[in-house]
Parts: sequence; C-alpha cells; structure tokens
Amino acid sequence: MSETNAYNPKKNIEIAINNVSVVFKDNKGNDVKALDNVDFDIHKGEFISLLGPSGCGKTTLLRTIADLLEPTSGNVRVSGMTPKEIRLMQKFGIVFQSPVLFEWRTVKKNIELPLEIMGYSKKDSSDRADEMLEIVGLTKFANHYPQQLSGGMQQRVGIARAFGIRPEILLMDEPFSALDEFTKEKLHLDLLRIWEKTNKTIVFVTHNIQEAVFLSNRICVLSPPPGRLSAVVDVDLPYPRTTDMRDTPHFGELVSKVRNSFEGGSL
Amino acid sequence: MMKAINKIRSSKALVMIVWVLGILVIWEIFAFVVVATKRTPENVLPHIWQIIGSFFDPKPVANGMSCTQIVLVNAGQTLSRAGQGFLIGTIVGFLLAILMKLSRIVEKIAAPYLMLIQLIPILGMAPIILAMTHDIGSSRIIIAAILTFYPVATNTLAGLNSVEKAKYELLYSYAAKKTTIYFKMLIPSCIPYFFTGLKIAAPMAITASILVDTLQGDGGLGCMLSQSLKHAMSIYVFWDIVVFSAVIGVLSCSLMGWIENLISPLKRVERKAKKKEAS
Repeated sequence: MSETNAYNPKKNIEIAINNVSVVFKDNKGNDVKALDNVDFDIHKGEFISLLGPSGCGKTTLLRTIADLLEPTSGNVRVSGMTPKEIRLMQKFGIVFQSPVLFEWRTVKKNIELPLEIMGYSKKDSSDRADEMLEIVGLTKFANHYPQQLSGGMQQRVGIARAFGIRPEILLMDEPFSALDEFTKEKLHLDLLRIWEKTNKTIVFVTHNIQEAVFLSNRICVLSPPPGRLSAVVDVDLPYPRTTDMRDTPHFGELVSKVRNSFEGGSL
Repeated sequence: MMKAINKIRSSKALVMIVWVLGILVIWEIFAFVVVATKRTPENVLPHIWQIIGSFFDPKPVANGMSCTQIVLVNAGQTLSRAGQGFLIGTIVGFLLAILMKLSRIVEKIAAPYLMLIQLIPILGMAPIILAMTHDIGSSRIIIAAILTFYPVATNTLAGLNSVEKAKYELLYSYAAKKTTIYFKMLIPSCIPYFFTGLKIAAPMAITASILVDTLQGDGGLGCMLSQSLKHAMSIYVFWDIVVFSAVIGVLSCSLMGWIENLISPLKRVERKAKKKEAS
C-alpha cells in the first residue's frame, strides 16, 4: 500500500480516493464489504484503469467517484471538491456497459441530449454533435435511430455523447465488454485517439487485462473479496499506441506483471 | 416463385382474409342449422347476405327511415359521446399516471380506486351515473371516460416505470432537473405503452356508450338495439347495429395504431426495416 501512496507526487492530482470503504447490506441484512479502505490518487489527464475480476468492487469504486454511491467511510475528492459538487457542475461524462441510448432519438439527437440539458443553443449543440459524429466516424448515420445500428456503432454513439460535453473527467464502466474482439480493438484505437486529442482524465473499469494494458497509463488492480487495492501498475508503453504493440514481448511482460499482482498470485 | 409464396405467407392481409373467411363460414354453418330448426330464424341468426341486404334495403322500417338511416343517425349520437368520453378519459388517465409517478402518496391512494373501477361492472355503474346526472348524453361521456381512463392510466404508468436504471443514472450524471427527466426521458419512453392503452380503450369506450344508450329511450345505437330486440322495429336494425359496431370497434383500434405510426419515429423505423426484409 505504501507504494501506492508514494506514487508520483509531482503530478497534478485530479481525483483523490481517501480510504474509501463501501459496505452493502445483503438480503439477510448482513454486512457485505464491497470496498475495503481503498486509497490512491488519479492524476489530471491520465488514462487509468480499474482492473479486477467480477465482484472486486471496481464498478462500486467508479460509482463513488460519479456520485452514484456514497462511501460508507472515507471520501472521494475531485479537484478538491465533493463528487456531488463536480456532478452539479456537469463535469462528468459517463459511458456504461450498455450504450444507454434513447430509442426515440436519432443518433445525432442522442449526442445532443446532454448539450440540451446543459443549456447549449440549438446551433451550438448541433455543431458539437456534428463534430463528435465526425470523430467517431458516424457522420453518415446521424439521422439513423439507435436500433438501426450495430452494437459497436451504438457504443460509439455513447462515447461521442460522453465526449461531446467536453467533460473534465470521463468515467467508463466496462464500455466494450459486450463487443466482439474486432470491434473492441477498433474502438480501443478510437478511444485513445479521442483521449489524446482532448487530454481529459479517463477512469476506465474493465476485467480484461490486455485491454487495461493497451489503453492505460496506470492500472489499479483490485482483488476480491472484499475489494482491496492490491497494486498500481505503471504501463510504460509509449503513445500513440498501435495494434502491433499487442504482439511485442514487452506487452506480454506487462500483462503477466499485472496478472501476478492479483492477490493470491496468478488467476 | 418461392419468393412469391413467401411474400404471400408473410402477408398480414392474407392472414386477415383467412381469418375473416373462417368466421363467415362458421356463421353460415350455424345460420343454415338455425333456418332448418327455428320458426323465426332471423331472430336467432340470419344469413350474412340477409344482413348485408338489409343495409341496402331502402324500405322504411321505423319513422320513415330505412335500416341504414337509423343506424347512421343514431351512430352519430353514440359515437360523438363515446369520442368525447374517450378524449376526457385519455387526458385524465395520462395525467393521473404522471401524478402517480411523481408522488408515491398519490400512487398509494389512487391504486385501490383504479382497481375498484375496473371491478365494478359497467352495467351497474351506468344507472348510478344516470341517476346522478339526469342526462343520458353526459352519462355516456362519463362512462366512456371512466372505461378509457383505466387502461390508459395503467399502461402509461407501466411505461413510466419501464425506464431502465442506467438512463436515470445518465441524466443524473448530467445533473438534469426533474422536469428534464420527465420531458426528455419518461414521457417519450411511455408513449408506446400509452398507445397500447388507447388501443384497448377505444373499442371499450364505444361499447360503453352503446350500453348506456339502452338505459333510456332517447336514441343512440343501444336504444335502437333494444327497441329492435323488443320488435318495435325490424329485427335487422339489431343485426345491422351489431355488424356496424363491430366494424367501428375494430376501426377505432386501428385508428389508434395509425396515429401511433404517424407520430412515433420508432414505428417508422420498424416499418422501414420490415419493408427492407420483404423486398
């Protein structure tokens, strides 16, 4: 744990997770620990992955950052403020595991939704949506409805919608886990491209080690049960990352390093 | 050739035709049996061509009016009231569903009454309403409204409750206001459910209106229906009204479907997809 706290103190801290524990009640009224005293910092502009198997508490941790869940003890601070304050300032973008699109809105109108909520003028939201459509390569599908799109395209709309508001912090909860490998690899590149362009902080939840290594600056490895932070692994692959990197020995080394950092040894 | 056969097999119209033909055949089988066994077969089950013939028979059957004239004149009265009641019931039902969604207390209070209204037979409720209003016209409207309001309210509420949690969380993360949540998310997503309610309610409103007619002798389809049954006029008025109301009932339901198709982008997409599949 000491390794975590000592990590890179010079960098600008964006999200501070301070001794966060979350305890749920199960059906019988017993306490179930979902997060146990998790403590680390996320830096500004960083792509960080929260990695772990099902039930390790990685989504729970993301939800405490997003103000979707109160920690039972400890706290989260984003730029020195509470997650709620940041949420009310509309600085979060969220991408869920499912695209969560509004079926009665066209692709473009879906991307405009948060902009409308934030009070952008019709013209501004339209322009911004066009720009985002261009970036995710869906300009031709602007006037399609979500159900006319493939799963991968739908998820791209979700990403465009989240980036469209130019959030300070992007929270992604297993956004690619329902997609096939080919689509996933393409979206990885798309996501990195957008991230490098915008330089926002991304917190990315995943259970896929290769995915975490390919995308992130750093990986927070969480172990069950209960959700404890077992390691923070640096990924020193240079950006921009390319698909070829997946086949390099160094990529393999990083993958095994992450795998070995799970508590109780290899999976 | 194969394509043509597939096209016919997937055709909705064909299914419909087979279905209607089936009813006609069964009707006629029974009609022939009735003709052979009963003394006044037209009172029990006339042939279809006899009913159709009576629509075109210009011979006056009562008050100097032919069968068709009687049906149409009285239908105007009944259907306009049914329509008004339907409209009121729709508005009240929709607003109640929204109120029930807005407030748990309203939901808790309203839910048992909704159940109760559904349980009281319309024939029992109608005389009470008539006694209260002393007016057959407003009674028709009220009963039609009551019957409409239940399916509209419950279906709309089901629609409002069907929105998945992730959509709420999405809007929450953008710090959306409550009005935004309603207008941008809840109301649009309950529209298909709302129309399901309308499709159920439309024929019910018409049936209710006809039933209320039978309580008093001031005209309306139901009134003519009972007079015809009491042999105050040709029995074919009865049969014509039965056929006419059945057709209007079906049409009222498809009218709702048609309106839904017109306003809902989802339906347009579905239609396009189907067309693509077919071609």
